Amino acid sequence: MEIKVDTRGGPSNGPYFEDAEGFNMPEMPGNGSRRIPLGEFPTGPKVGAKLPDIVATDQSGRQVDVHADRAGQPAVVVFSRSAVW
Amino acid sequence: MKSFREAGVRLYTVTYDEPDALADYAKAHDTTFTMLSDPNSEVIKSFGILNTLIPPDDHPWYGIPFPGTFVTDADGTVVAKFFEHNFAVRCGPEQMLAAALGQEFEVAATQRPVDRVSVEVTIDGDRLPMGVTRQIVATFQVPEGQHLYSDPVPEGLVAAAIELDNIDGILCYEPLGPPTSPQTLAGSGETLQVYEGDVVLRLPVTQNARQMQKDDQGRFVTISGRVRWQACDDVECFLPESMPFSFRVEAGFPVLGDMGPGVGRVPAMNGAQHFQRLIDRRAGAGSASDNQ
Repeated sequence: MEIKVDTRGGPSNGPYFEDAEGFNMPEMPGNGSRRIPLGEFPTGPKVGAKLPDIVATDQSGRQVDVHADRAGQPAVVVFSRSAVW
Repeated sequence: MKSFREAGVRLYTVTYDEPDALADYAKAHDTTFTMLSDPNSEVIKSFGILNTLIPPDDHPWYGIPFPGTFVTDADGTVVAKFFEHNFAVRCGPEQMLAAALGQEFEVAATQRPVDRVSVEVTIDGDRLPMGVTRQIVATFQVPEGQHLYSDPVPEGLVAAAIELDNIDGILCYEPLGPPTSPQTLAGSGETLQVYEGDVVLRLPVTQNARQMQKDDQGRFVTISGRVRWQACDDVECFLPESMPFSFRVEAGFPVLGDMGPGVGRVPAMNGAQHFQRLIDRRAGAGSASDNQ
């Protein structure tokens, strides 16, 4: 899958830039962290597939295996850019 | 996060941050959900959602995912996904919960209308922070023997749909609906997609802060539009109908960390320090200064 960069947008107020949907951002669309896709991009396992294993350290330093940890409950897994920025 | 706990749904986040950055975030924002640290983006890569538009030497941005949300049922099977191309946009908790509980397209059992379709339109949250989606939810209760169509339909027939007025600053995304079944028209032989029985349609919406009105009570946006539909039975189609809606909801900004100025910032999570580490750790990768 060839993924295209969304470079639509331009300067906004003051030091800011604006993307195609009118959101302010600190960089020109298509640069730095603002390299977001335009059109098709990968979204991982399909609906109907088993959620792949996730084993990682949590905020308290505990090793978490999501499938074991959810203990038979439904789960929501949010992949986000960062808790810092 | 009380509603997730009450609903018996577990909530996890995965980011490329270090565990101590997540700990500072959790403390500053008083979060109770499980925040998972994926500093080398191994989980992100294993899901195939690494943002490959960012080159590996571009720190600190390299390593982030194409952001999105997976919802599983009790068996761990993915039952819904929420991905938007713009990382300024993310889905609200109501949509996650409805999907996790299998209630996205569920219609509460009420008295079935006798002759005409009845429609109710709601918005699935009472706030619309910038970039967070809520959904306009249209519930159609359909009399026995009648049905509604899904797009695309031939000219002269109106598919059931939610339409927003074109208001600068209000954004909408791919509409969601239940599965349809094919029906072949007797006359033309054309095959159309039909909703069987009652129908719930959902339209994700958000706002980009350009439409917010501020008054003494806070910031608000107004979202308006209409629901359209046309009911048919096996013999004939009835006249197309529409119903306007307008919601004035509290707006504002999403919760943010303490990097830089802005409304909604929550200080005391050492954001600048953690950000510097995001830069440093990979800039030094492979050298003696590499962070372990």
